[in-house]
Amino acid sequence: MRKVLKCGLFFVILFLIINVISYFLLFDKNVEKFGLYKIANYSILSENKNSIDAVVIGDSLIYSSVSPMEIWHNYGYSVYDCASAAQLLKDSYDNLKVALENQDLKVVFLEANVLYRNPKNKSWYFKVYNFFSNSFPIFRYHNNWKELFLNNVDDLNNSGVYKGFKYVTKVKPAKNRNYMKVSLKKQDIPSANVMYFEKIVKLCEENNVKLVLISTPSMKNWSYSKHMGAKDLAEDNNVSFIDLNLGNVLNINWNKETKDNGDHLNYNGAVKVSNYIGEYLKGLNIVTDHRNDSYYSSWNDNYIIYSNGLK
Amino acid sequence: MSYFNIIYIFAFLPVVIILYNIIPKKLRPVLLLIASYLFFFYISGKLIIFLILSSLSIYFSALLMKKIDKVKEEKITDLESEEKRVVKEKYKRLKRTVLVVTILFNLSFLFFFKYLNFFGSIVNGILDILKINYSFKLIKLLAPIGISFYTLQAISYLVDVYNGKVEASDSLLKVLLYLSFFPIIMEGPITRFSSVCDSLLKGEKTTYNSICLGYQRILFGMFKKFVIADRLNIFVKLTFGNYRSYSSLVLALGAIFYTILLYMEFSGTMDVVIGSAEIFNIKLEENFKAPFFSKNISEFWSRWHISLGLWLKNYIFYPVSMSKFVKKITAWFRKLFGSRVATQVMGSMALFAVWSLNGLWHGAGWTFVVFGYYHLILILLGNIFEPTVIKVCKKLKINRDNKFYKFLRIIKTCCLVVIGELIFRAPSLSVAFGMLGKIFTKFSLKGFSSEVLSLGLDVCDFLVVILGVVVVFVVSLLNEKGKNVRERISQKNIFVRWAFYYALILGIILLGAYGPGYAPVDPIYADF
Repeated sequence: MRKVLKCGLFFVILFLIINVISYFLLFDKNVEKFGLYKIANYSILSENKNSIDAVVIGDSLIYSSVSPMEIWHNYGYSVYDCASAAQLLKDSYDNLKVALENQDLKVVFLEANVLYRNPKNKSWYFKVYNFFSNSFPIFRYHNNWKELFLNNVDDLNNSGVYKGFKYVTKVKPAKNRNYMKVSLKKQDIPSANVMYFEKIVKLCEENNVKLVLISTPSMKNWSYSKHMGAKDLAEDNNVSFIDLNLGNVLNINWNKETKDNGDHLNYNGAVKVSNYIGEYLKGLNIVTDHRNDSYYSSWNDNYIIYSNGLK
Repeated sequence: MSYFNIIYIFAFLPVVIILYNIIPKKLRPVLLLIASYLFFFYISGKLIIFLILSSLSIYFSALLMKKIDKVKEEKITDLESEEKRVVKEKYKRLKRTVLVVTILFNLSFLFFFKYLNFFGSIVNGILDILKINYSFKLIKLLAPIGISFYTLQAISYLVDVYNGKVEASDSLLKVLLYLSFFPIIMEGPITRFSSVCDSLLKGEKTTYNSICLGYQRILFGMFKKFVIADRLNIFVKLTFGNYRSYSSLVLALGAIFYTILLYMEFSGTMDVVIGSAEIFNIKLEENFKAPFFSKNISEFWSRWHISLGLWLKNYIFYPVSMSKFVKKITAWFRKLFGSRVATQVMGSMALFAVWSLNGLWHGAGWTFVVFGYYHLILILLGNIFEPTVIKVCKKLKINRDNKFYKFLRIIKTCCLVVIGELIFRAPSLSVAFGMLGKIFTKFSLKGFSSEVLSLGLDVCDFLVVILGVVVVFVVSLLNEKGKNVRERISQKNIFVRWAFYYALILGIILLGAYGPGYAPVDPIYADF
C-alpha cells in the first residue's frame, strides 16, 4: 500500500511540474484572452486575429486529407483544420463557434462523414484520447524553450506548423472495389445531427460565412447511400455539397495514396484534396493571396519548417 | 508499433504487467506468449504464420534429433566397437539430415522475403549481359517483422540441440515463447535458448523494484532516441539525400551524425527491450558495451551488436574454421609457408564467411555487401600488421599502454567506423563513393557554419545534441570503469532518485525532437 501511495505521489508531483512548465512555456499572445486549456483544446485560437480565411471542420478524414500548408504554398490562402478523431457534429458546431470568436471566416468546409456519426455510439477510446491530448498542452509547446533560450519570445506562433493537419506518409493499399456503386438506398442521418447541422447553417448565415459540405475520399467510410442522404440534407438547407468520392474526381490511387487500406488518405492523397480546396476557394473569388502580406509572415516561416519535415 | 510508440510503453506494456500479476503463476508464460503473438500480429498481420511455422519446425526437429539419439543409444549398447562406430555414424548422418533440412526450411522464408529480389536482380543483370531475352519478375514483399532475428535464434537452437549443448525441449510453449517473446522479436538481442528459456517460463511476479528499474532503463532509451537520434535525423536525411549540394565538411559531419544516430537509435531500442524484459524478471544479455571506446575494429565488433557477433562467431566462424575443407587448405599452407601463415589463412577464410553473411544479414543490397567486406579488410589488415606495429613500437620505445596512444587508437577506430557507417547508410554505392570522394578530395572551410545551420538544426538543436551525447558518454564511461550508474542511483535517497527521474522525463518531453519540423527515425534494425 505504501508503495502504491508513493507511486501516486510521484505522478501527482510530475503532473504539477508539467503544468507549471506548460504555463511557463506558453507565451501565446492569446493565452491571457482564452486561457491555457482552451487554447490547448482549440489550437486555432493561437492564430492572429482575423487571419484565417477558411476552416475545415470534421473528423480524422479532415486532418488526414487537408494540409493547409499545401494550400498556403500553392494559393496563399490561410486555411485551418479544426478536426479531431471521431468528431461528433456537436463538437463540429463547438469548433465553429470557437473559431468565430477570433476569426472573420469567409468559408467553412464541413466533412459530411460527421453527419453519420451517432452521438450515442462514440467510443470510450476517443474520449480518453481526447482527454489526455487536451490535458497536456506541453507536448504541443515543448519546443518553446528554444525561444526562451534565445530570447525570441515575441516571434512565437503556437498554433503549429501543420495547422491541424496530421502528416503521415505510410502506404497501406486498399483492396480494389467499387465502393461508390449506385444504389437506390439513402442512409438516414440521426435526428440529433440534423438539428446540429441546421444550427451550423444558421451560425454561418449570422456571420456571413459560406458553408460547404464536403466528403473527402474514403473507401471505408463513404458510400453512395451516404452521398444521397448528405446531398438531400444540403439541398434542403441550400448548402453547397462537394463529394470527392463520386466518380473518383481526384483520381486517388488507392494502392499508393492511403495510409490504412482505404480508411484515410496519406500525405500524397492529402496533396490532391488540398489543391482541390485551393482551386475551389480561388473559384469563389472571396479570399485573397496573402503570401506577400507581412501580417502573414509567420505562415511563410511555418512553410519552411513544414517542407523541411517532409520525407 | 515500434518500441518507442507511446501505445507500447504506456498502454501495451502496463496492461501486460497488470494481467501478468493478477493471473496464476502457471499461466504467466502463456500470457507472455499471447501478448507476443498479439504484438507480432499487430505489426505483421497474417505473416505470423511464418513465425509459427518456424517455431513448430524447430520444436519437432529438435525432438526428432533427441529421439534419434535415444534410438542410437539403445542400438549401440550391446555392439562391438567397430559396429558401434558404424551405427553411430549412421545415426549422426540421420541427425545431420534433420538439422540441415530444418535449417534450409527456415532459411527459405528468410531468402524468400529478404533476398529474392536482390538475387533476382543479379540474375536479371547477368541475363542482360548475356543478351538472353528473359527476366525474372521482381515482386515487392513485406517481410514478417524481425524475421532476420528469430531465424538466427531458430538456427542457434537447432545447432545447440544437434551438438548436445542444449536438451531438446518437450515444452512447445517454451519454444514458441523463445522465438516470439515480444521485447526481442523486432530488434533482438539474438538470444540463445539456454540463456533465456528458464526465466521465460519461471513466471516470477513483477515487483516494485523490477518495474522501477525496467522503466528507468526504458526512459534512458527514450532519451537517446527522442532527444538525440530523432534530432540528428533531419540533418542526416538531407546530407545523404542530396550529397552533391553540400560541402565536404558538411558531408563528413553528416556521416558522423549518422553514426551517432544509429548508435543512439539501436542502443536506445536495446534499453527499451532489456528494460521491458527486466520488468518480468527476465534478464537479457547486453547488446552494446561502449563501442566507441574500442581500440580497433575487431574490438568494436565485440562491443557493438554483441549478440550478432557472438552468433556469427559460434555458428559460422568456428564451424568454418573446423571444416574439413579449411583444414585441408590450412595443412597445405602450413607445409609451404609455416604455421603462422597457415593460421592467418584459416582465420581469414572463416572471417570471409562471417563478413559476407554479416553484410548480407544487414540488408539485401550492394552497400551492405561492401559494408561487410570493408570491415573484413580492416580486420585482416589489423591481424596481418599487428606484429609489425608491436615491433615498431618497441623499437621506437612507444608504450602501447600509454593513455595518449590509446586515445589515438580510439580516434582512428571511430574514423574507420564512421566511413563504414557512411557506406551502410548511403542509398547506393555510387552515392557512398561519391560522398567519400568529395570528403577526401574537396576539403574547404568556406561557408561551413552558415551551411551547417541551414540543414534543419538550429543552434539550440546542436546544443541539445552536445548535451545529450555528453550525458550518454558519461554514463558509458562510468559503466566502462565498472561503476554501475543504475545501481548508484538506486542507492541514493528518495529526493535524489526522484529528482533524477523527473529530470529524465522532463528532458525527454522538453528536449525531444518531435512535432513540426522533425522527422523521427524509423526503427532501423527492425528492417533487417
